[in-house]
Amino acid sequence: MCNGYLPIQMKVEKILAENPDKTLKTFDLSFVNEKDRDEFSYMPGQFCEFSMLGKGESPFGIASSPTEKDILKFTVNRTGSVTKEIHYLQPGDIVGIRGPLGNWYPVEKFKGADVVIIGGGFAFTTLRSMLVYMLEHRSDYGMITVIYGARNPDLLIYKDELKEWDKRDDLFLHLTIDKSVEGWTKHCGFVPTITKEVAPDPNSWAVVCGPPIMIKFTLPVLKELGFADDKIYTSLERRMKCGIGKCGRCGIGSKYVCIDGPVFSFEELKNIPEAF
Amino acid sequence: MLKVKKDKINGLIGEFLKDYLVFAPVKDGSRSKFKKITDPAEISTGTVKSERSPKDVFFPQSEVLFEYDTNGVRISDNEEKPYLLWGVRNCDTKSIRMLDKVFGNAHQAPDKDMYKDPYWKKKYDTSVIFNFACTAPLSTCFCNWFGGGPFDETGSDVFVVETDGDLILKGVSEKGKALLEKLSVTIEAEKKDEELAETAKKKAEEMMSKPTDISNLFEKLSTVWNEPVWQKLAAKCVNCGACAFICPTCHCFDVSDEGKNGRGKRVRLWDSCMFPIFTMEASGHNPRGNSTQRVKQRVMHKFNYFMENYGSHLCTGCGRCIVVCPVNFDIREVIKGILDHKIKEKVQADV
Repeated sequence: MCNGYLPIQMKVEKILAENPDKTLKTFDLSFVNEKDRDEFSYMPGQFCEFSMLGKGESPFGIASSPTEKDILKFTVNRTGSVTKEIHYLQPGDIVGIRGPLGNWYPVEKFKGADVVIIGGGFAFTTLRSMLVYMLEHRSDYGMITVIYGARNPDLLIYKDELKEWDKRDDLFLHLTIDKSVEGWTKHCGFVPTITKEVAPDPNSWAVVCGPPIMIKFTLPVLKELGFADDKIYTSLERRMKCGIGKCGRCGIGSKYVCIDGPVFSFEELKNIPEAF
Repeated sequence: MLKVKKDKINGLIGEFLKDYLVFAPVKDGSRSKFKKITDPAEISTGTVKSERSPKDVFFPQSEVLFEYDTNGVRISDNEEKPYLLWGVRNCDTKSIRMLDKVFGNAHQAPDKDMYKDPYWKKKYDTSVIFNFACTAPLSTCFCNWFGGGPFDETGSDVFVVETDGDLILKGVSEKGKALLEKLSVTIEAEKKDEELAETAKKKAEEMMSKPTDISNLFEKLSTVWNEPVWQKLAAKCVNCGACAFICPTCHCFDVSDEGKNGRGKRVRLWDSCMFPIFTMEASGHNPRGNSTQRVKQRVMHKFNYFMENYGSHLCTGCGRCIVVCPVNFDIREVIKGILDHKIKEKVQADV
């Protein structure tokens, strides 16, 4: 019988500290067993339970794109006991993964249209997955605009890739930080403000992912710009344990974030008062 | 209908013990709970439900998911006989059927194997439930609010009525009927037995208080999210979680690792939406940070969300939560409070 509670084994290949404080690290994991690798098929926006045997599990969005073969990428902020343990990992260590769990960004639906990606802080993980996926299938999509903000330049993740993306002429990248610092040449201000300045076309699809407060204030901006509720998508977070719709702790209204989500359109969320 | 004479009941249980793991209400101090029995003498069915529900037969308070060590994980796959539950009352039979909707699969993707809980299914799928009629319902019983009653046989495999110590058996499900056919200690029930059962039914139903009409409850709950009535209803709750633990339908759980030095086990443990830590995130953010929100969650899950997802209320009116609550929080009063609440003005949802 299929057992959704059993983790598969993964090997830590590479660890990259995303900020000078090393509170944010990105882990590249490879599959220990070929069978697991062949069966693991995912889409941008899905998540996994990262299992540290003896400490427990925590859910993280998959930061790699399905187009990046044989590797799964997770960016982890050191916060609680499980993430602390994850931060102690060294290349070569074996960890557990359960997934892929949940639904994904409707990248099929986005085909042929413009897409605007709005992200904040270290919630850029699954947005990176989607962006890499779309760039890999570049001709399927129209204009791609990225608005990405963090409190300060250090807290922007995937810095090397941001530089690469900034050079591309088929992608509009708008980076912003809360308050200006020396040497910073991009936008300054909160994500909702910059979104208003950039004023993406309301016929685009919008994907918003970040801290709840950012989503709360970005939504009215998008609505003011003329975006319909069913054109805006977001990814929600809850303290998911089982990830397969049983344990009950990720409920928002009648939905479970782990199965019905984590990706929702605002059309679906507007009648769920608990969502933000 | 079939009948088992008083003096043959132990023989019947003995027959079951050969092919099944038999679970039945057993006295544990002053209270009774479902336990695996090896001797019919242990059984204490009484006239009404056990103090603790049979929920933990299929979904134990603490259950090992797997063991781990430095080489990986190991699940125990020892074969067990099928489960036979003896002396289950209808509120609990229905609860078990409801839990199967959650653990058996996921309504969003009923065919997806990943969403089928293997620990539940291993025990549940081959089980047989002997549902006993309640001959003396309690003042806290309110199964009749949900269309049930002390003699309701819905969901049973075999329905049993005790009359003067004899048992009258009726096969309800195909599984139950097939099982009854195999038994050697049964005799055909007589007209007299059926009359006795009918009298007992009438008597039991008369003991139930008049049900409140809750046909409107789902719709009403969909409209009261922002109403102040929640503060009033939730005010005395101390969030102890006793109601959720004693509830035969509450099924939230936590997953936790127990062990040290690279060796141990991952277990799941009952949890409750009444506890603040239930939704607390590592960052300190808590989407359900106050008591009123948590009480609202429990009521909404039982009488609104579950209905939306599965077509029934997640409550069978067993009344155990009313009995155990340390502050006399009565779910019936909450339901009435919601139904009686008059919405003064339309309040916008705070998206």
